Amino acid sequence: MGVDRYTSSLSTADEPRSFLDHMAAWINWRRFLVSLGFIFFITSILFPFYWMISSSFKTRAEIGARRPVYVPGALRLEAYQELFDPQNPNYKDFGINILNSIKVAVPTSIVAVFLSVLGSYAIARLKFRGKEVMLNSILMIYLFPGVLLIIPLFAMLARIGDALGFAVQDNLAILIFTYLAQTLPVALYMLTNYFRTIPSEIEQAGLIDGCSRVDVIWRITLPLAIPALVSVAIYTFMIAWNEFLYALVFLNSRDMFTMPIKINAIFNDPSPQPHVVMAASTIMTIPVVILFLALERFLEEGLTAGGVKG
Amino acid sequence: MSVIAEKKKTPLLKGWNTLGAREARLAWLLILPTAFIVFGIVIFPAIFSVWISFHDVGLDNLNNVFNTPFVGLENYRQVWTDFAFKFQGLQSWGAAVTSIVYSLAATILTVLVGLIASLLLNRKFRARGVMRAIFLFPYVAPIVSVAFVWRWILDPRPSGVLNDVLMSMGVIDLPKAYLATRGLALVLVIIFEAWRYFPFAMLMILARLQAIDSTLYEAADVDGASIWQKFRFVTLPELRYVLGAIFLLRLMWTFNKFDDIFLLTGGGFGTKVLPVLTYEFSFKLFDFGRGAATAMILLVILLIFMGLYIGVVMRNVEE
Repeated sequence: MGVDRYTSSLSTADEPRSFLDHMAAWINWRRFLVSLGFIFFITSILFPFYWMISSSFKTRAEIGARRPVYVPGALRLEAYQELFDPQNPNYKDFGINILNSIKVAVPTSIVAVFLSVLGSYAIARLKFRGKEVMLNSILMIYLFPGVLLIIPLFAMLARIGDALGFAVQDNLAILIFTYLAQTLPVALYMLTNYFRTIPSEIEQAGLIDGCSRVDVIWRITLPLAIPALVSVAIYTFMIAWNEFLYALVFLNSRDMFTMPIKINAIFNDPSPQPHVVMAASTIMTIPVVILFLALERFLEEGLTAGGVKG
Repeated sequence: MSVIAEKKKTPLLKGWNTLGAREARLAWLLILPTAFIVFGIVIFPAIFSVWISFHDVGLDNLNNVFNTPFVGLENYRQVWTDFAFKFQGLQSWGAAVTSIVYSLAATILTVLVGLIASLLLNRKFRARGVMRAIFLFPYVAPIVSVAFVWRWILDPRPSGVLNDVLMSMGVIDLPKAYLATRGLALVLVIIFEAWRYFPFAMLMILARLQAIDSTLYEAADVDGASIWQKFRFVTLPELRYVLGAIFLLRLMWTFNKFDDIFLLTGGGFGTKVLPVLTYEFSFKLFDFGRGAATAMILLVILLIFMGLYIGVVMRNVEE
């Protein structure tokens, strides 16, 4: 629309102005640099994703060609069929691994939201001694590398498992516990900051009207905090969905593998089959990206909450 | 929990039932599950790992870990003299030096790219929301997927995308094994880190940019400042605090990061960093004592980083 107005006011002759003329009238150094920047960012971000999805539709012949095939001949599902083929001894059916990932990520997300609501409400609203120490020591988790914790965890859980009679290896419940420890601090931090933005007068009004604390939390605070709850749920879900190191150490049998470990196993298969790896990666990536796009606004709020004061 | 309640009630049980004490009890009750999980799975293991680093713990005596022999500093000595760890000249950096160089370079690049991206997006234009969402893709996508896509793009065969592009442009004659070339592999891993994590820096910076008082720019316009001067004397000082915070956070996270390098190069070709070395000692050689010792060295370097940062950077910011 803006361009049309431009044309009518500037073109004196009857003939339509060419595309190049438009460009020449529009461009200046600043716009040139900005456009260049955008082109650079967009191509370097989107090409890997295009490459992942397009490679997943290629045939074995297209994958093994001497030169890369930039656009697959057709949307062939060869790679996906191979991925879900129960007969194939190397991949078996990927469906089990998808299910395992869901079994780990969904409970992690639900429990993390529940526990962090309790904890962050206490930190944001109630006065008690040792609050700061507690918050700081929980945030210290940021400091500890995962590889440092996994050795003692492995030793400790092996000992406890022996005593109580449960297996540590290939135990998805154990995995959920370790993911909770990784996600709770972030969840707590995000929610505490959000609760602090809800005026406490609203709650006090509820208390004066005779509601109990639990009523106040359930009927007043939580409904107000839904954006933050959604973002914590998605965030913890994504962490559990993507986690690699702990799953690599704790899972041994192919039937128990979560998706990241399975994809790693397929990648390291003696006969490399990039199209199958890309098909599996696509399946793993699409849900997260869709979740993210659908709930982007909530997520960004959560990501930056409190991190940029002052 | 009870200790604190105890303290409160010492003056003849007075205050046990006051509103304040009831509130404190409720607070502890609410926070207890979180504290329990975090303590059991993070704080206690962290302390336990100091203990392990002084003992000879292998796969055979893992079930009886509390009775493993005490070996003093033997694990540390072994790590210190390991060829994978120590610096042996410029050809072979060793894990400690590689880790430091890698995390500093990757963090600086990440913050720089994030700054540029946030400046690009901090303007009003159509499709801005879409652009913003696309810019966040690398950060949101699972690490396994993006690492393998990049490996597939950098494939050493002539059918690799980068090989094909560079060969048809005539830059190289023969296909290169990018991730299997010493030096180049480290550079590529650093670029990958910036590609994946710049959105985090971008979001933080963008939020701060939008909070800058617009009258500052109006004043600069009145004074006839150029775009560069406005950036240098208005934007940058306003961003100093947030840039510092992002730098520290990302430095720590990059230093601790295992997945990225493990998936991209497996720690070969001059990219072996301390987390990967820790993993190899513990879960390839099953020498948990040596692994724990490596992790402790990692932690000490991390603490030195933080100390330096707080001592130097934070003080400068305050002045």
